[in-house]
Amino acid sequence: MTAVTDQDHTDHTGDTASRKGAPSTAKPESTVAAEPQARGRDAHVGDGAGHGRVKDQQEEQVGRARVKDEKAASGSMGSADSAGSVDSADSEGSADSWDDGLIARRMTETADAGQSAPVEPRAAAAQAPAPLAYDGPLRSRLDALRELVGLSRTRLESGTLAEAGRVLDEAAARRKLSGQHTVVAIAGATGSGKSQLFNTLAGVAISETGVRRPTTAAPIACSWSDGAATLIDRLGIPGRLRRRPLQSPEAEAQLRGLVLIDLPDHDSAAVQHREQVDRVLKLVDAVIWVVDPEKYADAVLHERYLRPMAGHAEVMFVVLNQTDRLPGEAADQVLDDLRRLLDEDGIALGEHGEPGATVLSLSALTGQGIPELREALGQFVTERGAAARRVSADVDAAAAELRPVYATGQRSGLTEEAREEFSARLADAVGATAAGEAAERAWLRNANRACGTPWLRLWRWYEKRFDVPTGRLFLRTQADEEATARQRVEQAVRTVSDRASAGLPTPWAQAVREAAARGSQGLPEALDGLAARTGLSPSRPPRPGWWPLAVLVQAAMTLVQIVGGLWLVAQIAGVMEPNLGVPVLLMVAGIVGGPLVEWSCRMAARGPARRYGQEAERRLRDAAAGCGRARVLDPLAAELLRYQEVREQYGQVTQASAGVG
Amino acid sequence: MVTLDVRPQLLDALSALRDRVAAARFPLPLAGAPRARANRDELLAQLDDYLVPRLRSPEAPLLAVVGGSTGAGKSTLVNSLVGRRVSEAGVLRPTTRTPVLVCHPEDHHWFSGMRVLPGLTRVWVPQQDPGDDLLPLGEDPARVLRIETAESLPRGLALVDAPDIDSLVADNRFLAATLICAADIWIMVTTAGRYADAVPWHLLRTAKEYDATLVTVLDRVPHQVVSEVSRQYGALLTKAGLGHVPRFTVPELPESVWGGGLLPASAVAPLRSWLVHQAQDPASRQHIMARTAYGMLNSLKTRMPELASAAAAQHAAALRLVTAVDRAYEGEHTRVRGQLNAGIVLAGDALKRWRAFPLDCTAGELLDALVGSLAALLLCAVTAADERVDEAWRREPAAAAPGLADRDASLDSAEHRIGLAVRRWRREVEEYAEDEVREIDRSVAPDPEVVAALTATVVLGGRRARSAGEGLADRLTAHRATRLRERAGNLLVEHLDRVMHSERERRLAPLDVLEVHPEPQAGLIAALSVLQKER
Repeated sequence: MTAVTDQDHTDHTGDTASRKGAPSTAKPESTVAAEPQARGRDAHVGDGAGHGRVKDQQEEQVGRARVKDEKAASGSMGSADSAGSVDSADSEGSADSWDDGLIARRMTETADAGQSAPVEPRAAAAQAPAPLAYDGPLRSRLDALRELVGLSRTRLESGTLAEAGRVLDEAAARRKLSGQHTVVAIAGATGSGKSQLFNTLAGVAISETGVRRPTTAAPIACSWSDGAATLIDRLGIPGRLRRRPLQSPEAEAQLRGLVLIDLPDHDSAAVQHREQVDRVLKLVDAVIWVVDPEKYADAVLHERYLRPMAGHAEVMFVVLNQTDRLPGEAADQVLDDLRRLLDEDGIALGEHGEPGATVLSLSALTGQGIPELREALGQFVTERGAAARRVSADVDAAAAELRPVYATGQRSGLTEEAREEFSARLADAVGATAAGEAAERAWLRNANRACGTPWLRLWRWYEKRFDVPTGRLFLRTQADEEATARQRVEQAVRTVSDRASAGLPTPWAQAVREAAARGSQGLPEALDGLAARTGLSPSRPPRPGWWPLAVLVQAAMTLVQIVGGLWLVAQIAGVMEPNLGVPVLLMVAGIVGGPLVEWSCRMAARGPARRYGQEAERRLRDAAAGCGRARVLDPLAAELLRYQEVREQYGQVTQASAGVG
Repeated sequence: MVTLDVRPQLLDALSALRDRVAAARFPLPLAGAPRARANRDELLAQLDDYLVPRLRSPEAPLLAVVGGSTGAGKSTLVNSLVGRRVSEAGVLRPTTRTPVLVCHPEDHHWFSGMRVLPGLTRVWVPQQDPGDDLLPLGEDPARVLRIETAESLPRGLALVDAPDIDSLVADNRFLAATLICAADIWIMVTTAGRYADAVPWHLLRTAKEYDATLVTVLDRVPHQVVSEVSRQYGALLTKAGLGHVPRFTVPELPESVWGGGLLPASAVAPLRSWLVHQAQDPASRQHIMARTAYGMLNSLKTRMPELASAAAAQHAAALRLVTAVDRAYEGEHTRVRGQLNAGIVLAGDALKRWRAFPLDCTAGELLDALVGSLAALLLCAVTAADERVDEAWRREPAAAAPGLADRDASLDSAEHRIGLAVRRWRREVEEYAEDEVREIDRSVAPDPEVVAALTATVVLGGRRARSAGEGLADRLTAHRATRLRERAGNLLVEHLDRVMHSERERRLAPLDVLEVHPEPQAGLIAALSVLQKER
């Protein structure tokens, strides 16, 4: 439901009635083209210029510029009956019929503000054009693009997403408008014969043609069937520039649903013409590029328009006009050369039944080639797929433009290797290896001390009295200081965030880096606390159950030595019977057995010591890794996941195009 | 009337200026750089191709260059003026890819040498064969000038058929600009269908800016509309301030249809006689040459300062880049020194080793750990500085210069270099320790490695390693200990400075390669003022 404007004009019917006479009589000659349509126009031409309050309840019309400028209230039906299909010719007629001074002046004042024509529904044409419907893949692509824009709004600059947003807006706006109509613009260089072609297609001289360059200054619309007014409103073409073609049944049948727009030139010194062209080209469903033998290779046409719009080949006609100026076979040569240039521009040509741009040669002046164009246009319009194809090409173009911020063609993500390296670096930062080794050695040392011969213990004790206290003193005084190597933590975070952001488009890489930086705040302090809590106390290593046994054996060995010694002494003193064998054997057993036990204990302690050291190292390592995972790796992974999500959406936007296109 | 008097001083000043212009480079991709580069090339072309040769030999024939949009009928016009087909014309665009110079046979020697247009290779094709490929093999088509002679042209006049000014082939556009720069007389050809096109008007405005001698030809005007189109074109010219420019109209004739043949002599007679008059009348010839030459000399007054300011902008941008690097490295340097004083190196495994020393850890292990920790600190500082530089450069458009953008990921080699420096420091500390120990009596002398480890701990551990200082003083004497500490500390500062400096230099090396200096700006202005004085 598009074209109905359910304006309530009953409150100024009096006004309307008083003015009724003037419009019907003051119709200028130039509206001859629209004359046949006049039968449908009733006298409800209203003038709301001064006080026309337009009550437009239709959602899709709210916010449209035309509403606030609506001068004429017309038609007496609401949105419910949907009977008023807007007729561009009628509106054009009413616009002309206003040409009575004050209002006309006001018309021109507001014409630039995208103001629309007054519309006048006809009760006879009680058929509202159905809005456009996009097919499934396109709809899902548009949804994906919308989702994509929503997801990345916080990460990307708004300027980057502007084009995608515009495409979405235009797609939504176009969808609400008539799907029965195809808006085709005629564009080209100055003097190529755009207006001539326009007139030839319409069958009447609508657009002014001439030798004066540039000729056409503002776009002119011509609609072959009713209900296209809102479409033309969207292009910002005022009512006085809307026309109807010559009425002939066969033309009507062939080109039904066509809305033709004659554009100004794009290459003249008049800059505002180019602006008009650029604006309208973004809104139409298809374009007929008119080139002539003189200008078909102009850089401005190819570099400024055709190359950037190469993706729109399916909704593009390229027409070589003025072939009457070329002798004989030269026209074919030029056409071939034009095809070659288009091919170089990257435009797919619709040859051999493949989708692509239609290239024709014709002469608008002599009419040669016009029937072919008519036929091609007729088929094109009947298919009614141009609008969707145009939107699809727009989505493609927007996606291609966004490609650098979404895809790099490189593998991205955090590998297991990088995660492990990060953990290893953190373990280095807390000194896990050194701690483990120290613990192992301390354990071993304690074991040796515990299981050593008492004589050795005596010696150690004696020696220790003169020992220089270094590390162990330090240990007690400095235990609570920053134990984690700050620089190693910083470097670890930097490395892992570099790894994670490698292969990511710049904005997302930046986001990943920021996440890592956020996570690394307070990480060294956390590791400090962690090391203090989980680190094994080096001064109090555990004592295994077999140590007392070893001590007992050592004591026994010493006892055996002493017993043997005493026995020997007693023999020498003559207290006991001389028997050298047994006491010497006892002493030797004691002397050899003590170190033997010590040595075997040391061997036996090696395994547990290593286990103890490894345990100490592992605990520190795990704690550091856990801390790093929670603070850095998980936020990084979340950020990467967000990127993956966006990347998939982007894939959906582009991938479907391969299927459709 | 202005006349052309040439003094050798002026020529000297001009060639000095030319060298300055040729030496100017704009390597940084600033907003104005492409324009400055184009301006420089154009100016150089004008100096080389026109101004210097013209001032050297004022008696050389006048060069009239026919320029215009594609399909305007330039070649047809040249052919018609000459009276025979010297330049191929056709319906396919762009037609003329090789420019053609036509002159009287006796003027041939003026153009066969490299006096004008030294950048273009000369090709002689005595007999034209349209079907033939006119180019010698391996020759770049854009850099070739074909020379034709024709008796029908008067002496003292040469015509050049230039490629399109708005060609799809970019080389053609540059070539057309080069040729137009070399002209005494600019002949702008446009058509009834084109006279409002934007591109030719830029050229017309440029001609006005340089005050070159300009003629416009309105070609291909259908008979019916001659007067109307001509009037409108005249109005447009007047509006652009070019109302005084001689204007010729050539009607569209069956003969002119797409290169089918030559236009009848009557169609181009006014233009031809005007040209012949300019070439043969000494006064008007002088006038034309002086006007274009002085116009160009005058234009230097605005164009040289433009170039100079572009050079200045380059230098300013380069300075900003250097400042960003300096600031980043300076900041990191200060931070590292602060961290060293705070003893941040004595953390992590180094701290664990130190706690275990000497019972559960050897002096060698402690030294290893300390040195590794120090290397990590330096590497961290260097990468942090690089990161800050990257961030600062991201905001600078100049940083996108090819050499600067693709910085080699030389982190590993930075690690390598830092490792080398740190190991060297360790070795030197060990040597110092040995020196000190050697002086002590052998019986009480401590192990030099322990002394080295303690020294390293004291120097790197800052306040945290107070006990190491005590231990060192116990092992050596207090005096020796202090001396050793100071030497090792100074050495550390020295190595740190060297590492930061060399990494900074490495970062700046690609910028140095681009050679952006302040001299070109001053040089350009100086050359201009010398020239002004000589005029």
